[in-house]
Amino acid sequence: MAKLTIDDLKKIKERVEKEDQFRAGTKRMKLTVHMGTCGIASGAKEILDTFMSEISENNVNDVLVTTSGCIGICSREPLATVEEQGKDPIVYEYLNPNKARQIFKRHVMNGEVQTDFVMARGSEHDKKGVGK
Amino acid sequence: MNVFRAHILVCGGTGCRASGGDAVHRAVVQELIAKNLNEEVCVVETGCNGFCAAGPIMVIYPEGTFYQYVKAEDVPEIIEEHIVKGRPVKRLMYKEPTTAEPIPHMLDIPFFGKQKLIALKNRGLIDAEKIDEYIAREGYMAAAKALTQMSPDEVIEEVKKSGLRGRGGGGFPTGMKWSFARKSVGDVKYILCNADEGDPGAFMDRSILEADPHAVLEGMIIGGYSIGANEGYIYCRAEYPLAIKRLNIAIEQAREYGLLGKNILGTDYSLDINVYQGAGAFVCGEETALMNSIEGKRGMPRPRPPFPASKGLWQKPSVLNNVETYANIAQIILHGGEWYASMGTERSKGTKVFALTGAVNNVGLVEVPMGTSIGDIIFDIGGGIRNGKQYKAAQLGGPSGGCIPAEALNTPTDYEEIIKLGAIMGSGGLIAMDEDTCMVDTAKFFMEFCQEESCGKCTPCREGTKRMLEILKRICNGEGRDGDIELLEDLAAIIKDSALCGLGQTAPNPVLSTIRYFRHEYEAHIYDKKCPAVVCSKLFKSPCQHACPIEMDVPSYMALVRANRLTDAFKVMKRTNPFPGVCGRVCPQFCTNKCRRGQLDEPMAIAWIKRYIADNAKRPKIDQVPVTRKQKIAVIGGGPAGLTAAQDLCLRGYKVTVFEELPYAGGMMRYAIPEYRMPRDIVEQEVGDIRALGVEIRTNTRVGKDISFEQLRKDFDVVVLAVGAHKSWKLDIEGEDLSGVWGAVEFLREVNLGKKVNVGTKVAIVGGGNSAIDAARTAVRLGAKDVTIIYRRERKDMPAWENEIVAAEHEGVKIVYLAAPTKLIGKNGKLVGVECQRMRLGEFDRSGRRKPVPIPGSEFTLAIDTIVPAISQNTDATFIPAGSDVAINKWGGIQTTGKAKNKTTAENVFIAGDAASGPATVVEAIAMGHRTADDVDSFIRAQNNEPAYRRPPEEEIEIPFEVDEEVVETPRGKMPELKKSERRITFKEVELGYSKKTAHKESCRCLRCDAEL
Repeated sequence: MAKLTIDDLKKIKERVEKEDQFRAGTKRMKLTVHMGTCGIASGAKEILDTFMSEISENNVNDVLVTTSGCIGICSREPLATVEEQGKDPIVYEYLNPNKARQIFKRHVMNGEVQTDFVMARGSEHDKKGVGK
Repeated sequence: MNVFRAHILVCGGTGCRASGGDAVHRAVVQELIAKNLNEEVCVVETGCNGFCAAGPIMVIYPEGTFYQYVKAEDVPEIIEEHIVKGRPVKRLMYKEPTTAEPIPHMLDIPFFGKQKLIALKNRGLIDAEKIDEYIAREGYMAAAKALTQMSPDEVIEEVKKSGLRGRGGGGFPTGMKWSFARKSVGDVKYILCNADEGDPGAFMDRSILEADPHAVLEGMIIGGYSIGANEGYIYCRAEYPLAIKRLNIAIEQAREYGLLGKNILGTDYSLDINVYQGAGAFVCGEETALMNSIEGKRGMPRPRPPFPASKGLWQKPSVLNNVETYANIAQIILHGGEWYASMGTERSKGTKVFALTGAVNNVGLVEVPMGTSIGDIIFDIGGGIRNGKQYKAAQLGGPSGGCIPAEALNTPTDYEEIIKLGAIMGSGGLIAMDEDTCMVDTAKFFMEFCQEESCGKCTPCREGTKRMLEILKRICNGEGRDGDIELLEDLAAIIKDSALCGLGQTAPNPVLSTIRYFRHEYEAHIYDKKCPAVVCSKLFKSPCQHACPIEMDVPSYMALVRANRLTDAFKVMKRTNPFPGVCGRVCPQFCTNKCRRGQLDEPMAIAWIKRYIADNAKRPKIDQVPVTRKQKIAVIGGGPAGLTAAQDLCLRGYKVTVFEELPYAGGMMRYAIPEYRMPRDIVEQEVGDIRALGVEIRTNTRVGKDISFEQLRKDFDVVVLAVGAHKSWKLDIEGEDLSGVWGAVEFLREVNLGKKVNVGTKVAIVGGGNSAIDAARTAVRLGAKDVTIIYRRERKDMPAWENEIVAAEHEGVKIVYLAAPTKLIGKNGKLVGVECQRMRLGEFDRSGRRKPVPIPGSEFTLAIDTIVPAISQNTDATFIPAGSDVAINKWGGIQTTGKAKNKTTAENVFIAGDAASGPATVVEAIAMGHRTADDVDSFIRAQNNEPAYRRPPEEEIEIPFEVDEEVVETPRGKMPELKKSERRITFKEVELGYSKKTAHKESCRCLRCDAEL
């Protein structure tokens, strides 16, 4: 790959924004499994596997699954964030495969937030942007 | 075609199968066949219902009953009850979630809302293995800006302006470090990153590397550019495999994009970075040792100077910063040094990341503006201490740091402020410790760590840490000696001064800081052979016994209850406690707090078993003790301390006379604790046992009125003052002379004397302790319609026992939190109202609780007839004439002296109980009574040149050892209580006591920690 120039950086930024299937609107939902060491140690891999197998079993193709690092509150791992177009993200805590399945079946497929497993809604990055 | 009368739908989804759905299915089929119902009832395996977490799920039609968490063993019951008898099994039915509370926003949760993310700005958002996601969040824009629009000097200037200091712990200004390296002459320079995070409990760097590795690379590019380095290393410990993997992926991707390598972003600047894996030696976090390690030598420090900025890696000018420092750089370049410096304190700018661990509710990674107080981090962000335990200290800075006690919770996170307290900011490990942490044991742990990690190069560190560890181990094992603390301090000073590197120079810090704030714990270990936190197990048989001020042998009487040998159990209790029936009702149970059963399910109901024994044992006959000694002893005050001292001295052959002002002996046990908690006959019986030994108790005799204090001094050889604290503190506000204003002790005493007390219909109580609750529940029983407790803090801060608060609420007592009275309003000399002010919780006070601060303009008035302040009590010392050699202290109480605070300024006048310690508990008063009796006896024997007292051999009671093979989770036995309808109108005892069956079952829960296996 050719070396980047500063313009390329900006282009990548725009491209990522355009190609991000969730942001671009081609995917209805985005599931983020938080996979720092803390998450993995408490079973985040199983949560990721559960989401993946639910997607293939149910032939769902409008859901994006991705991973990210620790969100800070390690004692409530495994954590996952479920984001639906136009709605506040929902962060689920203390997950296990069965809870993940239930979240997939009821929330991702039916739109019913599983209040019992929710830690919070929204994002901690909402208001206090860096430098602002 | 078959017509079925019912359908059983068993979920066959993955989730339900995983939790045992198959077995349930099989059980249903078998059970139907066994009951001959298979023709009538159809079993269907369905697809997933979606309620996987509550699985296995079963639905029965035609009713549509939804069962959850069904186990195969529940199936016979379901078939029998639901299908055969038509009665749905309630316990397995689906319950609607009851909490209808709205879901909080992330920023409404203090853990997230109080943080400020700079170094962690991408956490939880991006995929660390995709460089594009980093770039989409303005990634590498700062590097681009630095490389194309700024000169190296301008970059350094910007970093200097930001005030950024080394986040690895040293706190050296980053910009200055860079400018030294820039000025160093050399064609080869290195930019290095220290990711050798090794403090126990610290994981900031690991988390940053795992979540956002490009942020570190970008910081290194900018730093490298500023000093003129073309090569860089990240020294990361091999124990961080995920961090190393993600770092390598990030480096690979950055190289592919030309963000590392030659001519970065088309500029003249070139830099390549490699990861060097360390073997996890703590000393390699020290900069010179780290560089030796990269050079392929043993990881050992070398003396400085020369400093790395002039001669670093391979003797070339080098800059070494830690992960978090680099993670801040890009943001500083993008948003400007001034922006960064706008956060924080005078000398500590920006934010700091902490790895918050230990006894807090929320364990995790937090980034806060510098200057945020330690208390805010632990109590707001961390959500306070787990399991309602008491906060004790925070450990900052790992093995190089120190412990900060509760009284320093307001300390801001600021390099200099923390150093003043004897700790260091460190890399950001913050371990919260609760009351169950022994500070000597903590110091031992860190010393053990340093001793193991000492590289051995210099003698002070290699030998010194070993010697210090030996002493600490000895202290924890109960072999501590006088002078050990001083020896530790001496060794610490020498090691600090003479060790070669940071590891050795800071290794004594945990010991020094714990000695500084918790010297009393060291002394308790060395002189009393006690571990106040009940951790150092070499010092005790069982935690409960060690926690008890009078070391009651709990496991023994538990075993004797289990064996149904109540009289023996009673004798075991009486060895140390003259008032087991009283303590079985009102003891605060220091023992229960440390009960190991509590780690499994619930702690033992130790006091309730004690009460069961005291109430039900056949009591042995008591013989009078012959007087064998010529000295006569007077005890003033017939409460638990005075009576215990009298009993002990009587048992040693002294003639003892107790002078009691009131009609009955018992003190607070008789006149403060209300009858519904403490029936009078219980106190009378236990006082009677002491009288039976030969102690003379003269009631209705007030010293200072019926007999003068000076006369007593002439008539008796030794006087013990056990006069208690029977004078309530005043509120110190306007209107306290109105009629209708009581003190809690005086109010309870009048009632307990049997006098008629008119409380009117509306009563206010002020305070949050047990006596406030006692006064409130007593007022209810006297016929007050409306009883309100006014408390200035929150419920969780109330010193009163939880079950007492709940009982008061059940009886209709209202509690107004966060309010304090400011004025009492009267009409014709009679109280008609109280003006109060709302409070908010401000900074932390010395007790580690937030201090209530009045809110101006928030005044409100309650209409009342009676007010009872129950805020504390002090001693009435007016019986001591002016000019006596028994001195009075500045608060009007009696001046205490001696280590145990049980002596007065006159050598033959001793003191015990609340009069010496301030308001405390019955069991503490008993403990002090024992101690004072012992000291009185020793004093007399010393005067007569007699040998020390030798305790006669105790009657031997064989303690059975029977424990359950397997420990099954069993909740603590419930205490039966008086019906609520009866409570409001009588003073009958509310708690009715254990039955034989409950007591036996409860005693079987004891884990017998005393057993030596």
